[in-house]
Amino acid sequence: MTQASPTIDLSSCDREAIRTPGSIQPHGCVLALSPDGIVVQASDNLARYVGVAPEAALGRTLADVIGAAAAAELAPEFAGAGERPSFAATVRLAESGAFDVLVHRYDALLMLEFEAVQRTGVADFRHLYPLVGNFLQQVHDTDTVETMSARAADEIRAVTGFNRVLVYKFDAEGHGHVLAESNDGNLPSYLGQRFPASDIPRQARELYASNRIRLIRDANYTPSRLVPAENPLTGAPNDLSFAALRSVSPVHLQYMRNMGTLASMSVSLMVKGKLWGLISCHNAKPCHVTFDKRTACEQLGQILALRIESREVANELQFRLEVRRIMVSVLGGLTQGANFIENMGSVFPELLHFARAGGAAIIVDDRIVSYGDTPGEAQLRELIGWLQVNTHDDVYYTDRLSCEFPPAGAYRQSASGLLAMPISRIHKHYLLWFRPEFVYTIDWAGNPHQKEAPPGAPTQLSPRTSFASWRETVHGTSAQWHPGEIEMALEFRTALLGIALERAEQMAELAEELGRANKELEAFSYSVSHDLRAPLRHIVGFSDLLLETAGGGSPEKQQRFLTNIKESARLAGKLVDDLLSFSQMGRASLRPVQVDMNELVRSCIDKLSLDVGTRRVEWHVGDLPAVVADPTFIQLALYNLLSNALKFTGQKDPAVIRVEGRREAAVTVFTVADNGIGFNMDYVHKLFGVFQRLHRMEDFQGTGIGLANVRRIVERHGGAVTAHSAPGQGATFTFSIPHSS
Amino acid sequence: MLKPILLVEDNPHDLELTLIALEKSQLANEVIVVRDGAEALDYLLCRGEYAQRQKGNPAVVLLDLKLPKVDGLEVLREIRSGADLRALPVVMLTSSREEQDLVRSYELGVNAYVVKPVEFKEFVRAISDLGIFWAVLNEPPPGSQRYVRPIS
Repeated sequence: MTQASPTIDLSSCDREAIRTPGSIQPHGCVLALSPDGIVVQASDNLARYVGVAPEAALGRTLADVIGAAAAAELAPEFAGAGERPSFAATVRLAESGAFDVLVHRYDALLMLEFEAVQRTGVADFRHLYPLVGNFLQQVHDTDTVETMSARAADEIRAVTGFNRVLVYKFDAEGHGHVLAESNDGNLPSYLGQRFPASDIPRQARELYASNRIRLIRDANYTPSRLVPAENPLTGAPNDLSFAALRSVSPVHLQYMRNMGTLASMSVSLMVKGKLWGLISCHNAKPCHVTFDKRTACEQLGQILALRIESREVANELQFRLEVRRIMVSVLGGLTQGANFIENMGSVFPELLHFARAGGAAIIVDDRIVSYGDTPGEAQLRELIGWLQVNTHDDVYYTDRLSCEFPPAGAYRQSASGLLAMPISRIHKHYLLWFRPEFVYTIDWAGNPHQKEAPPGAPTQLSPRTSFASWRETVHGTSAQWHPGEIEMALEFRTALLGIALERAEQMAELAEELGRANKELEAFSYSVSHDLRAPLRHIVGFSDLLLETAGGGSPEKQQRFLTNIKESARLAGKLVDDLLSFSQMGRASLRPVQVDMNELVRSCIDKLSLDVGTRRVEWHVGDLPAVVADPTFIQLALYNLLSNALKFTGQKDPAVIRVEGRREAAVTVFTVADNGIGFNMDYVHKLFGVFQRLHRMEDFQGTGIGLANVRRIVERHGGAVTAHSAPGQGATFTFSIPHSS
Repeated sequence: MLKPILLVEDNPHDLELTLIALEKSQLANEVIVVRDGAEALDYLLCRGEYAQRQKGNPAVVLLDLKLPKVDGLEVLREIRSGADLRALPVVMLTSSREEQDLVRSYELGVNAYVVKPVEFKEFVRAISDLGIFWAVLNEPPPGSQRYVRPIS
């Protein structure tokens, strides 16, 4: 790791092989077993814990090395070992007392990790349930992410005994922002501060995303090497990504020592499948956290992430709903009179509100009308000239205009943010919104611009040494434009084009479409509050019941409660995913091309073959006419209909599913018919609604979003979808796609 | 014989938790479980698979708001529109804290509206209180056929 160059290149952190360090932390030892149960690798501190030198252990059975009794206690746990470490047992070894043994399988090796513990009995997992229950009880639907994080930090500090627990979130640039802290006063407070993105290299972030918890017991440790150094089965260094004892980067250990923390633990917070942030725990002195407590912390982290996810989804929907409401009222105002520019003047206050802007201007050829805090008229003309040459999209936006267009530095106070929209395809018509400069202060934990070592420092790669708070004031930027505002501006533009062309019919349709979109958004926020609350209640309820029966109670019952908890957690996750996919469906733009429907149906059937399994299913697919449509969306609609048909023919042998298509004068019509259980025509009006199910959950799985998606896709293509069912004759779904949409 | 409690609940987890809660409150009333709004109406109106059941209304209906096919509000509307069932006590039991649900339930004449607490002990208490109040303390509406506790 020594570099020739005197300047230190911290990007080399990105290349450190953190998954294959070749060594472990020495508060435990490791034995790796080959598939036939022979010890093929051991850590070099084996003698200290087990009394057998690593070289002497190689080639022998586990019983030979740790004794027959301990080996027999562990053996039953091997069959179920997966990629993530699971707790096998607490065993006593003659030499040095009790060990929690974790087992996981990687690259054909069975990895046994022995963690020395003080207690004599087995790990007690029971305190996991009250912890989770207690935490869920403390966080409320109305809590902010900061409040929830603070409660989680308190709980985790109570469980682990660490001096300081931080919860921080990564921003769009990857900097960490400390949102919450629980601190016993032994270490400095970092609340509100930021850690630069370069503190955590890329591959460490990836590892945080796959292995959700990491403990460093003592930053002054001397690593124990593996003997032999390489995995004997593959000849390559062992991948220790999931090993609890994995040794960490020496740079990171130096970083910890510089920071004055000798022990640390981090729990990853994954939101919407991405690393959202970390719960980061620090202790001034070395500190061990046993596996059972780590499991509890990991579980708590997962629940915090789930609550953050639902809170963020709810906030997002609320925000979009509000922006849309203002936009609808602006549109209403615009249609009142004939003169577009005059009308525009009358809705300026709402226009500002709509974009949370300080000023707005309309440019129609050479006429400029402005409102609020905007650049002067000559400056506006110059800006428009630049926009005409340099921007070609339907909408242009920036939160640092003077970086993109230097003359704007002269008026950065009123216009550091710009949202610009051409409102004619032919003429020089623009609508502009301006946001004022937003001067803000970042509290960095240490100066991020002085990461390089001072001149004359050793040339070894070294982390920064100062964490003292450093303030930076940022100029020339405005508040960021929210994606919801940009999307709404685009919709607004479409509406404006309609008005500018005085196409009244188009307006009527648009209003109807907006009305429907609004209703859907309302259904969303309703579902977020209603449907997501149920699985959380179930998690708490069954956890409490599990606790009550922890002493007695039948194992079957406890098993079922655990299954219920798991199912509820999964359902909550799926609900969030489906909600998001449904909301995306409404926003993504269509890219219509000629689509071969025969091919599309074939690929859907291929995809469904896994669900078919051993069932007998007869697919009758007619010769289908081609259509002009967005292939991705149409495929999704078809897939939903076919998977629906497959689901509701579950009890038929054979299931018969027919797909037919015909070209009519103005539309192409497709039908999907099945011989399944059908539905009662009395409820046909509910069939395509979001979160409506006509069957009980345990009979047919699903969140009730599939058919709502079908309708949304078909209607966005300008078509219509209907459903018909007659008792005993299955169900038929028909949808049409116009020839030109 | 005590009058039964009619529980309308489609979610199997909610059902299990509610039954456990009712069991904990040690009510002697029989609990009849139906799994959606259509089935609830079949039971109340003695039709379909309940055509042969013994006549008489339950002490109270614990009605989930969100149900497949016919939802809780529709069941409530149907109950309030027929002469035989109009006075039947109905308690809306729901996850929803949305005001629109609350307002519509009261407009349609619900007797009580209970948001299922997230915390299990509170959930048990809420269900138990409901059971005791409606099945034991409350005098049923006049005119409805009464069950008489047999002398044992």
